[in-house]
Amino acid sequence: MHIPDAFLPIGQAIVYWIIALVFFALALRWANRELNEARIPLVAVLAAGIFALQAFNLPIAMGTSGHLVGGALAAIVLGSPYGAVFILTLVLIIQGFIFGDGGITVMGANIINMGVIGGFVGFYSYQGLKAAFGSPYMSAGIAAWLACVIPALAASVELFFAGTFPLVPGLIAMGTYHAVIGVIEGAITAIALYLIATVRPDILAMPAGAVAS
Amino acid sequence: MLELLASIERDAGRCSAIHALDARVKLIMSVAVIVAAVAYPYTVSVYWLGLLFGAFFIVLWAASRLSPRTYLRRFLMVLPFGFFLIVLQIFFENPHYESFSPIRILPFGITVYAESVEFASILMVKFLVCISFIILLSSTTPVQDLLGGARRLGLPSIMVLSLGMMVRYLFVFAGMYDRVSAALAARSFHPLDADLPYRYRIRTLGYTMGMFFLRSFEQGERTYACMLSRCYGADYFDSLPPKPLTGQDLSALISSTLVVVAGSVACWVLTA
Repeated sequence: MHIPDAFLPIGQAIVYWIIALVFFALALRWANRELNEARIPLVAVLAAGIFALQAFNLPIAMGTSGHLVGGALAAIVLGSPYGAVFILTLVLIIQGFIFGDGGITVMGANIINMGVIGGFVGFYSYQGLKAAFGSPYMSAGIAAWLACVIPALAASVELFFAGTFPLVPGLIAMGTYHAVIGVIEGAITAIALYLIATVRPDILAMPAGAVAS
Repeated sequence: MLELLASIERDAGRCSAIHALDARVKLIMSVAVIVAAVAYPYTVSVYWLGLLFGAFFIVLWAASRLSPRTYLRRFLMVLPFGFFLIVLQIFFENPHYESFSPIRILPFGITVYAESVEFASILMVKFLVCISFIILLSSTTPVQDLLGGARRLGLPSIMVLSLGMMVRYLFVFAGMYDRVSAALAARSFHPLDADLPYRYRIRTLGYTMGMFFLRSFEQGERTYACMLSRCYGADYFDSLPPKPLTGQDLSALISSTLVVVAGSVACWVLTA
């Protein structure tokens, strides 16, 4: 899902950077407000954890594999979609500048896809599903699936606008691939949330059963 | 990837003229090359720009005294997704061209177009330049220096602090990952083992990742408490001591800016 450098024309990359910077500024405001000495290790560990989770290749079928995104998990644990924006930005900076995974000019687009769309879709669908069905873990699983598939579709639309990949094959390939990865991401997010809520409920910004007001 | 981070840090800790440059210089130079390569129009004259930046990269890599194998190993790890997108280009009609000349018709109506092959090669040149300079940057600059440089260039201190902590915790994770992997292997568990039920594999992976996270968090809490006791707090990066650029840094910055700007303009003017 990481769009590499050169796959978006510079003009479009700048537009995505501007949009990403708006959300980044809001995420920074969230971080300055929420991150005290006690919360900094959590954010750093979550960022490192999501980085490590993205390094885990999960089996799909026919020998193919994919990696998790982690936006929903970050947003749910930190109790804010801006937490996911902040954390995914950290992850993408390290991936882009150290590993060349993703890129520099396209980082704005990647932040929008995985951090903004992933975080907001993950957080608000979790809240909505939890209010409707009551089960926090099932809600987290479905929210994580949505937060995996929708950013992938957004990436294919961006590649289409860039003229570097046709729309329909892109949507089919990315959508199908991430729909399968999303099931795994959903299951793992639900299980991870269950473990955290059971073993260290103090880590969660909102108890697993609570709904944001 | 965690082993890769450790090996990158080992490479970045070596001594050479490139390693000795200030992180800000290398950061600005790499970003400038990448922006120039990406901003260059999607035309075949990008081959000349690729040659120029490629030669520039080879000079810098040679001056860094790192082995070509180091570059190749890192390059091959980055390649898959970008290469996959580039290879697929040859089968599609690209909106950057108006007419298409089929050069090969494959089964199932799949056609390879000359223009699409040309576009794929243009993307490949740009992609190679971008990846190469990222590899150069990270292989010659320790992460903590890079963060210090980014802070001095204006990255907010809360970001730098979180990035620094994140990288430290990645090494905590690496140790944790080795122990967890050994524990899983000792129990004959492998996530790709088709003989095991799929649900069992996913549930085990979920528990493993949750446990991995919790143990790392608790280790991270202890590590952070130790760091706090050594005066490393939330305001650690608020005011870094000033670090003026040396004459060598300034000459490297000016000469690399000249190569990037003059080279890009010259390629465009001479080949357009």
